[in-house]
Amino acid sequence: MNKLRNKSIPPWTWSFVAAVAVLVLTFMVSGRGGTETLTLAFTIAPYLVLVGLGQMLVMSSGPGNIDVSVAKVFSLGGLLSIAVGEVTGSWILGLGAAVGVGLAMSSISIIAILYVRIPPIVATLATSLIASAISLTLAKGFQGSADPVLKGFLSWAPFGIPAFAIVVLLFTMVVSMGLKYTTWGAQILAFGQARRAAEYAGVSANRVLAFVYLTSGVLAALAGALRASFSAPNVELGNDYLLDSIAVVVIGGTLMSGGRAVPAGVWGGALFFILLDGLLNLVGWSYAGQNVLKGFLVLAVLFLASGAPILKRSGSPVGKGAGNDMHTAGPDPDG
Amino acid sequence: MSTATTRQYRFNLPRGLGRRVLPGFLTLIAMLLILVICGAMQPRIWSQNGLTLIMSPIVALAIASMAQMVMMSIGDIDLGIGFFVGMVTTIVATLLRETPLVGVLALVGCVLAYALLGALVQLRSVPSLIATLGASFIWLGLGLFVLPVPGGMAPDWLFKFAFWKPPLSIPAPVVTMVVATALTWFVTRRTALGVRFRSLGSNPVALTRSGSSLVMTRMLAYATVGVLGVLAGITLTAEIGGGDVNAVPGYTLTTVAAVILGGGMFTGGRAVAWGTLAGAITLGLLTVLLTLLNLSSNLQPAVQGFIVIAVLAGRLVVERMSR
Repeated sequence: MNKLRNKSIPPWTWSFVAAVAVLVLTFMVSGRGGTETLTLAFTIAPYLVLVGLGQMLVMSSGPGNIDVSVAKVFSLGGLLSIAVGEVTGSWILGLGAAVGVGLAMSSISIIAILYVRIPPIVATLATSLIASAISLTLAKGFQGSADPVLKGFLSWAPFGIPAFAIVVLLFTMVVSMGLKYTTWGAQILAFGQARRAAEYAGVSANRVLAFVYLTSGVLAALAGALRASFSAPNVELGNDYLLDSIAVVVIGGTLMSGGRAVPAGVWGGALFFILLDGLLNLVGWSYAGQNVLKGFLVLAVLFLASGAPILKRSGSPVGKGAGNDMHTAGPDPDG
Repeated sequence: MSTATTRQYRFNLPRGLGRRVLPGFLTLIAMLLILVICGAMQPRIWSQNGLTLIMSPIVALAIASMAQMVMMSIGDIDLGIGFFVGMVTTIVATLLRETPLVGVLALVGCVLAYALLGALVQLRSVPSLIATLGASFIWLGLGLFVLPVPGGMAPDWLFKFAFWKPPLSIPAPVVTMVVATALTWFVTRRTALGVRFRSLGSNPVALTRSGSSLVMTRMLAYATVGVLGVLAGITLTAEIGGGDVNAVPGYTLTTVAAVILGGGMFTGGRAVAWGTLAGAITLGLLTVLLTLLNLSSNLQPAVQGFIVIAVLAGRLVVERMSR
């Protein structure tokens, strides 16, 4: 039964179907060829993809794992990298500073999770409070603008293909390969599927959790730094990225209960969200209408893409075997 | 031998009581500590007006935390409660004031929408986290439809309620919070419905075997969350005097922290109304304390974050010692 489903359609299908549907609608509405639309989408999507990949790794490492600090770390990374870049005159140092602050912030999360045994959602919430305090202090009387070289690269699109999107696409492939073919990847996924079993098999919980949270923090801060270089640093730059990152990861087919990571789906989800924003702007919907539709579409995708059969089969009253039934699964002994 | 006999005659507390009550109790101590420190720095807090002043911004947070507590008792998490409460304030400040009937219908609609969300989560095995997240976009959008910019005005009866002074110099916000908590406690721990909620969180198979419908139970639980969310929105409107969908997006995560501080668990099965109240008040009072300390408002979130970690670390230490 399980084998059959795995053979039928890959988990990222729905996100791309949704993205293509929105794209087709956009073409129909605008009535012209859409290289511009696509170029724009591929210019903006990579930032969300970077944050999403980090979030995906965190979510794949088991039920309850989520990083709610990405939004504030994103903003902080942006502010700090521009500030450091301005002072030292080197955008490389600026990006380095962002990576550093991402590591520092996620270290707080990981210490709280591993040694104080705080549930991840609360630990990363505390981290996000700390990050937002630093951002607010940093933003006071903040001046500075991005390095023109970096800014030029981020908006450079030869033949309508944004170069930065290619870089992030390659990175996504690296992550995908890493999950598939390296011991690290296997350990993360095994840990996400069955924590206890993985630990008996010699997977170190501390190492897996530290790795995923640190990666998520670094990616969020780095994406923030790049996004700030692309437009302008701002305390509220990252605010949309928390909900969006979680949504695109799940729409992309990654299981919230852990154990299945779908890097390709993050692209599908991100393109879906960004194309949708573009389409609704094109139609002239208000911000209010955009949010309502976005919400309904997220729920609709969940309705269609969830593993449970639409018509209930007899003999499975709890809906077991659906895979992502986080709430119907038995209580987690480590919770 | 002698110890065995004494143990036999000792009054037997329910099993697991310590584990259930201890975290909330520690949070209660933290809450009282903060209250005492605040009182020492500003003695005028110890009066009806003073307590009303510092407690009234916390009422909505406390009731929203009750909603989150019910959600977490069935093993789900609500990531949309912040915008839901904000949306309710926009409805209360416009529709409920101008056309009470439509307003009431709209609020009932909100509760039904929540029940529907519960059905979606159960029937399609959708993770609650992401379903409520999707719903939060809808709440935000609907709130913006009703009130594109903050404004409107609370109904007159709500203003009267906001300025109500109970006898015996009891602060009104405390009364509201205690009543809301007592009701939640009663429903979740003293009714058959509450038992069904908690067993949905801890052992859904047992719930099915006992003949209850999982879908119905989850829908009722979500409807309860909706009712509490609406109540939180109404009290928030009384507090801010108008409607603003973006008033409290932070509630989404703060309420989760309040439930955890109160002794709740993500895995469900545990309903800790009083602990959650202590958690919500602790988090709310922190802002007061930090203001009294003259701390830059920019630094306040960081201190709040550290204190949440510190309280939970303290609990870990106490739990280790009591073992």
